[in-house]
Amino acid sequence: MSNKLINLVDITKVYDGQTVLDELNLYIRENEFLTLLGPSGCGKTTTLRIIGGFENPDRGQVIFNGQDITTLPPYKRQLNTVFQKYALFPHMSIAENIAFGLKIKGKSRQYINDKIKYALKLVNLEGFENRSPSLLSGGQQQRVAIARAIVNEPKVLLLDEPLGALDLKLRQDMQYELIRLKNELGITFIYVTHDQEEALTMSDTIVVMNQGYIQQIGTPEDIYNEPQNAFVADFIGESNIFPGLMIEDRLVEIFGAKFACVDEGFGRNKPVDVVIRPEDIDLVKPKKGIITGRVTSLIFKGVHYEMDVMANGVEWTVHSTDMVPVGEEVGIWVEPSDIQIMHKPESEDEEAVSLEES
Amino acid sequence: MKRQLQRIYMALIVILLYAPIITLVVLSFNSSKTRAKWGGFTGKWYAALFQNDTIMEALYTTLIIALLAAVISTVIGTAAAIGIHSMKRRARTVFLGVNNIPMLNGEIVTGISLMLLFLAFRVRFGFLTILLTHITFCTPYVILSVMPKLKQTSRYTYEAALDLGATPLRAFFTVVFPDIMPGVLSGFLMAFTLSLDDFVITHFTKGAGVDTLSTKIYSEVRKGIKPEMYALSALLFVTVLVLLLLVNMNPQDSKSAPTFFRDAEGRRHFRFSRRFLLGRLVPALLVILVAGGGIYYGARAGNGNTNDQLIVYNWGEYMDPEVIDLFEEETGIRVIYEEFETNEIMYPKVKAGAVAYDLVCPSDYMIQKMIDNDLLAEINFDNVPNIKNIGSVYMEKSRAFDPENKYSVPYTWGTVGILYNKTMVSEPVDSWKILWDSKYSDSILMQDSVRDAFAVALKYLGYSLNSTNIQELSEAQSLLISQKPLVQAYVIDQVRDKMIGNEAALGVIYSGEAIFTQKENPDLEYVIPKEGSNLWIDSWVIPKNAQHKENAEKFINFLCRPDIALMNFDYITYSTPNTEARKLIEDESIRNSTIAFPDDEMLADCETFQYLGQDADELYNRLWREVKSK
Ligand SMILES: Nc1ncnc2c1ncn2[C@@H]1O[C@H](COP(=O)(O)OP(=O)(O)OP(=O)(O)O)[C@@H](O)[C@H]1O
Ligand SMILES: [Mg+2]
Repeated sequence: MSNKLINLVDITKVYDGQTVLDELNLYIRENEFLTLLGPSGCGKTTTLRIIGGFENPDRGQVIFNGQDITTLPPYKRQLNTVFQKYALFPHMSIAENIAFGLKIKGKSRQYINDKIKYALKLVNLEGFENRSPSLLSGGQQQRVAIARAIVNEPKVLLLDEPLGALDLKLRQDMQYELIRLKNELGITFIYVTHDQEEALTMSDTIVVMNQGYIQQIGTPEDIYNEPQNAFVADFIGESNIFPGLMIEDRLVEIFGAKFACVDEGFGRNKPVDVVIRPEDIDLVKPKKGIITGRVTSLIFKGVHYEMDVMANGVEWTVHSTDMVPVGEEVGIWVEPSDIQIMHKPESEDEEAVSLEES
Repeated sequence: MKRQLQRIYMALIVILLYAPIITLVVLSFNSSKTRAKWGGFTGKWYAALFQNDTIMEALYTTLIIALLAAVISTVIGTAAAIGIHSMKRRARTVFLGVNNIPMLNGEIVTGISLMLLFLAFRVRFGFLTILLTHITFCTPYVILSVMPKLKQTSRYTYEAALDLGATPLRAFFTVVFPDIMPGVLSGFLMAFTLSLDDFVITHFTKGAGVDTLSTKIYSEVRKGIKPEMYALSALLFVTVLVLLLLVNMNPQDSKSAPTFFRDAEGRRHFRFSRRFLLGRLVPALLVILVAGGGIYYGARAGNGNTNDQLIVYNWGEYMDPEVIDLFEEETGIRVIYEEFETNEIMYPKVKAGAVAYDLVCPSDYMIQKMIDNDLLAEINFDNVPNIKNIGSVYMEKSRAFDPENKYSVPYTWGTVGILYNKTMVSEPVDSWKILWDSKYSDSILMQDSVRDAFAVALKYLGYSLNSTNIQELSEAQSLLISQKPLVQAYVIDQVRDKMIGNEAALGVIYSGEAIFTQKENPDLEYVIPKEGSNLWIDSWVIPKNAQHKENAEKFINFLCRPDIALMNFDYITYSTPNTEARKLIEDESIRNSTIAFPDDEMLADCETFQYLGQDADELYNRLWREVKSK
């Protein structure tokens, strides 16, 4: 995982005067499972289409294996795409769909037949050769689309929200299958989703995007545990994000209460944003906590309870397997290592400004 | 009750819509030649139709033009639709609008503007111009029928094909094209139908000797309706109907198409039938048709190259068709024969030069205008020895418009005079004066055309009927105004019918028609008034841009042969200037008719019309309008 297989350099894309991608820089290593994650309209698909060759960037370069392929047409790229809308060929059978790329490459009949069998087996659709795509369920169609792409043995597989249309159970099954495929085939995956859970489960690397800017690049753990700004924190999982004041290294003040933390180097008396995950807040006896509050709501969420606690004039969201009834007085306690300190954006723009790669 | 009414209403509408066509179809099986009575069922008109060479040739031309136009416009239209589809929204709206306008445009406007375009670029009218025209008006319909199919196709399947390594062309043909196939096919059939059906636009852009079925039907019908034309029209209707059914049968719902994948056995069966029909069978049949027809007509036309042609432009019904056959037989020259209705229609066509006519038959004043505009070639009279058969008085009279007898050879001629009913007019008629006699108030018929009306008045006053003297003209105008209360009607063709029907006592009429009226009503008599009248001559001329001048001279010489001139005289019934031919006329009453062949002295004061120039034309028209509106 060292070689930079694809490198996007200063990619800018403008549609009708609206900048969709602004000087985006990103590289993908060989064999990596990289996920583009972000809210709808942030430019994920556009990024993917630029890599696939379906759009030309207005500025910037796409480097593949050291070669500039910015203007190379899609059919000359060693990549294959699994489209957001499956895009199976409706007038061809499943087998014909899968054979499409191989026939163009002029492979032998025997080779093609073997490949079809192999690919259908890989995606658990043995015996579907002669069916029509329109008679398959969404999940089956998606698997055919994947089979159609992988028989070509691409260096990189681009997947645009391939599981978006599937129900939860099927989605989870497919997630495992994709990971299995990746390991079996040794293909580099560039995966687009706006489902943060999916991203966290599957990826080696996650790229969080917003409004055409990269917000943070990192492993799932990095992204979850150490979001670099309020956007990432908010987007990944649920969070309590409060304005705070960094009094000195390892001490932050939130709504008048002083919390110990592990962050250093923010300077003295600097305003910062503080992120505390709901599951990292412990509800203890009043007095034993750092601050005291009162439970204002309680919802059962299946695995845990979600409670809102009013303390020092703000609501703290807390996840816990232990239930505290509404109206009870409680103390709030957070482990220093569970407090995440972030720079405050100095302007509205900066909220979306791309950060240097970590 | 309400139901009942609805049904009756529906039935009425259907009857109204289809009654004409049903009549046509019924008549096409009527063995009696007249429309009025049913003579029993027959298929003979259909048989006659298929034995008629010119109609079969028109049929073949029609089919090949329809086919080529449909194929080419389908290719162009589909490509254009794809282009428009991939445009940005604003541009797409604009282009679709641009595409729709020609369809809403009146056919006649399209026809005339295309004609003008071809004229402007000096394109020869002929097969090619018809084809180009048909491609032009079919393409928007193809675009219109392909667009919705394109909208339905997903952009992603095309991109997926590219992604899998297909070049854009291959991706189009393997992925996009099958999806839009129904739209393309119905566009094709639509174009084919439109092309088959078109008359107006073709009429304006066709060249000499090329006819499609619809223009053929039109020119045949002008000569009088023949039952074969019913049969032909009926066939045309049925063909178009079948094509339209085919267009509408196309699967609009592409989702239903793939159902036949269901079982492994015979899974292609259903699709195959339609695919086979529309994708294989129809094109195959069309190819056979074109190839077969091409070979047949190629073989037929093969023995004549274009040097053996002669393009003749003549008045409608102005030559015995057998004369043409005889000429073709004797000389091996193929005659392409075109007709016009008025000098004014003929002139711009010859002047434009889009069709290089070899021989044209204009009237006196028009010949003068053509000479003035340097449109005519001198005739080499060494090639026309039969000119000796033309009476010298006609050559003499021709000098009024062709001063040196260099450009024209007289073909037919006639006079304008007074036709009167002997039972109503007892006094001798010898002067225009009688048309101003209040005794005959409300039983006088005048010609409803400027020059003819003024000719009467000017001649009566003793002036030239080509006068441009304002003084003389206003005198003539006052005279015409003073005559107005006596005139029953200003008419053209009806003089004949009204006089035959004893509806009027006196009428100004052309001599050619006078002979005909006398046959129908023996009480009628024709005179050329002593003050003189209009003598008109239609003569053969050769345009300067003629490609087959020698053939044209051969034909003129042929027409001057007494036996041939006689055939034409019998057919047209207008006076012939061919004195030798006159001697051959068997019917004595006609041979010696003073209507058909007045004495030279009766013609002494007769003049031909001359072209007076635009200013004089306008003056005449203004004065005539004032007469009519007073
Ligand atoms: N062809 C286009 N023309 C104009 N604007 C476009 C085009 N394609 C994308 N955009 C715009 O670019 C922005 C980014 O679009 P993109 O499809 O990359 O978002 P996305 O992150 O994939 O969103 P989603 O999660 O909804 O798929 C959006 O504002 C979108 O409206
Ligand atoms: Mg997207």
